[in-house]
Amino acid sequence: MRSTLTLIAVLTLALVAPRVGEAQTSPYAGKTVTILVGYKPGGGYDATARLLARHLPKHIPGKPTVIVQNMPGANSLIAANHVYSVAKPDGLTLGTFNRNLPIAQLTKVTGVKFDMTKFAWIGSAASETTILAIRSDLPYRSFEELKKADKPVVIGATGPGANTYDFPLLLKEFLGANLKIVSGYSSSADIMLAIERKEVDGRAGSYSSIGPFIARNLVRPVIRARASEPGIEQLPVDEQLAPNPRARAIMALRSAPEVIGRPYVMPPGTPDEQVKTMREAFAKAITDPELMAEAKKAKMELEFVSGDDALRIVKELLAQPQDIVDEFSKYIKFGE
Amino acid sequence: MIDALFEGLLLVLQWKALAFMLLGVVLGFWVGLLPGLGGATTLALMLPFIYTMQPVEAFAFLLGMHAVVATTGDITSVLFGVPGEGTTAATILDGHAMAKKGEAGRALGAALMSSLIGALVGAGALALAIPVVRPLVLTFGSPELFMLAIVGLAFIASLSAQGGRGMLRGFLAGGLGLMFATVGQDPQAGVERYTLGTLYLWGGLDLVPVLVGIFAIPEIIDLAVRGTSIAGDLPPGRLNKGALEGVKDTFRHFWLTIRCSLIGTFVGIMPGLGGAVAQWMAYGHATQSARNAEERKGFGAGDVRGVLGPGAANNSKEGGSLIPTVAFGVPGSTAMAILLGGFFLLGLVPGPDMLTKHLAVTFSMVWTIVLANVVTVAACFLLLNRLATLTTVRGHLLIPVILVLVFIGSYTANNHYGDVLVTLLFGGIGYLMVLGGWPRAPFVLGLVLGRIAENYLYISVARYEAAWLSRPVVLVLIALAIVVICYPLVQARRSGADKDAHA
Repeated sequence: MRSTLTLIAVLTLALVAPRVGEAQTSPYAGKTVTILVGYKPGGGYDATARLLARHLPKHIPGKPTVIVQNMPGANSLIAANHVYSVAKPDGLTLGTFNRNLPIAQLTKVTGVKFDMTKFAWIGSAASETTILAIRSDLPYRSFEELKKADKPVVIGATGPGANTYDFPLLLKEFLGANLKIVSGYSSSADIMLAIERKEVDGRAGSYSSIGPFIARNLVRPVIRARASEPGIEQLPVDEQLAPNPRARAIMALRSAPEVIGRPYVMPPGTPDEQVKTMREAFAKAITDPELMAEAKKAKMELEFVSGDDALRIVKELLAQPQDIVDEFSKYIKFGE
Repeated sequence: MIDALFEGLLLVLQWKALAFMLLGVVLGFWVGLLPGLGGATTLALMLPFIYTMQPVEAFAFLLGMHAVVATTGDITSVLFGVPGEGTTAATILDGHAMAKKGEAGRALGAALMSSLIGALVGAGALALAIPVVRPLVLTFGSPELFMLAIVGLAFIASLSAQGGRGMLRGFLAGGLGLMFATVGQDPQAGVERYTLGTLYLWGGLDLVPVLVGIFAIPEIIDLAVRGTSIAGDLPPGRLNKGALEGVKDTFRHFWLTIRCSLIGTFVGIMPGLGGAVAQWMAYGHATQSARNAEERKGFGAGDVRGVLGPGAANNSKEGGSLIPTVAFGVPGSTAMAILLGGFFLLGLVPGPDMLTKHLAVTFSMVWTIVLANVVTVAACFLLLNRLATLTTVRGHLLIPVILVLVFIGSYTANNHYGDVLVTLLFGGIGYLMVLGGWPRAPFVLGLVLGRIAENYLYISVARYEAAWLSRPVVLVLIALAIVVICYPLVQARRSGADKDAHA
């Protein structure tokens, strides 16, 4: 009788044990991971998160469900504050926010209740390549020719804090480009229409959004910021044309967040093991052929930056001397 | 061109495209009914599903869904006084007033029939405009768009009660709306205005919580105070014949419906004006059709023309807003911006090619809008009289349900408790306005046009200095604004003259 019981116990253990072991090796089995997006559905940050949500599960042991939740407001400060101090550091929350949050922290924007360096950095899914493009029917074929323009070239913009505004502003202030910036357009698409009707002569923005209009020969790119993409490597880079180190530092500071254009983080204090699992899954997902095929179809340029590299860039950005920060704050405001 | 027109129809009529369209229609039906959950958000959520579809199937699915949202949004507006969509708030003024008189069926019939006609006119305009769309859109630069916003604001004159006192109140309410439109970070200097030190208000006031608060809360309080059903204590028998009467109303005021459809289409074509504007301009125009002071007073108290106008405009604008999306790759609304992502997914580059090489696909979109609306309106008519009987359910059974819808609906705007507070605050303002006899429509018009007017004025002056005032289209629009403002005065004088004649 006793031996029968032992046998049953052993058999039961033998049946149950492997499952227990499996559950222990994959804390994600049967769980739901939430990607918190700092914007409303429909934009670039949201689209990238939704693409990742479909492909992340197969790279995480235990195949959790991954869902996207939108927490818009205050250029994603609300979402960042939430992930920093409200979300549990249990490895089930990812946040993706405005790439310019380090700038907000650097320039001490009110409402910042986080330290970007203390997040558990997972990485970045894409870089943002900012270019300035002007109408093809203008006589200026290059940035050099544009600089010699005798009457101001009108640049349409959305508002301060957006690359449509900040990038040309620094070109005007430091490189002496004869630009007149007109801001207040409700979206970059609106500026494109203003270019079509010749209300403005050009605009700055991400290469991915201006690309189709370059292909249609409506506009021509003349200068870019640091981050690059195939097809526009040969364009002059704003920092390289800077007349002095101070100007270069300010331009570099503006474009630094663009290299980590789609940042992904977890709450501070997330256990190392979960962070490691998520970093690996993130790296694999972004180079996943299926995901890449879908991204290509949607005209999304993805570029993987590791969590360590992203954190290094953020730390560098935040370690600027005070006089540079003060000068920078004169021109650049946190936004979008 | 004619070939492409029929090719487009055949594309939509393939069984797969048709099945996806019907699926979209079913989804859109519910999205429209529920307040808060909007067409644009749903489009973004559905976008991932189109990866494996053919272009025509994908657009049948997405557009089918989007095309019916405004149609069924009207139903919630009429029955409960809760805007089913941000774009169907204007239907409440007269539609819900009719429901309170026991004419819910008639109001719904009118809303749906005018929606159908609006959708047909919008789709027709899209088809007809294809050859001339580029010059048409390019004529309207920032100065012209600013003046269009001014013409929109001029409609306040028609939306206010008559007489000096009524006008004054109307314009004051409009001014208040304009002031609330300035809340948030300004786009020229990045300064925070009236944000009360909160992050929530940085992006400005979201339209949905404001509209839901200002229209729905007063109705709920009113319903609770009266202690009856929405339709009062009318015998239910009267409700059942209403829907057909509403359809007849649409044809009785056929030209008004067509004119309001055209207003909607035009506003849709202009990128940057936004869908919320069309319904109010159409409503303002509908009130101008009052022949005398007596009739004018009927608006807001359940005149069927106040339902027909916005009903037609908020559907016709969809066809219109496809025009800039297709022809320039520049979206005319948030929903269209998301649709643009759909174009890329399918390997189509919106732009001049859509009017030449892919013309059949473009026409298939026109047909989708037409078919989706025909299907929805037909389906709704089967349900209409049953829906109308909801207005005879006792208030205290309905109120909890409506309250849940109201607060969940407004919370979906930002998923932030601020949305709920905004709803409550504007609910209070709305209730006080109703009590004091202040018109709510001018307030909303000021709110939706404020930011547009501010931005385009800034751009016009920054770009052209004073020279923008001498542009021909601007001059025409200035004249139009003056006519719109003076029209109610003429109306009043004419009805005064009538009275003299009778006396």
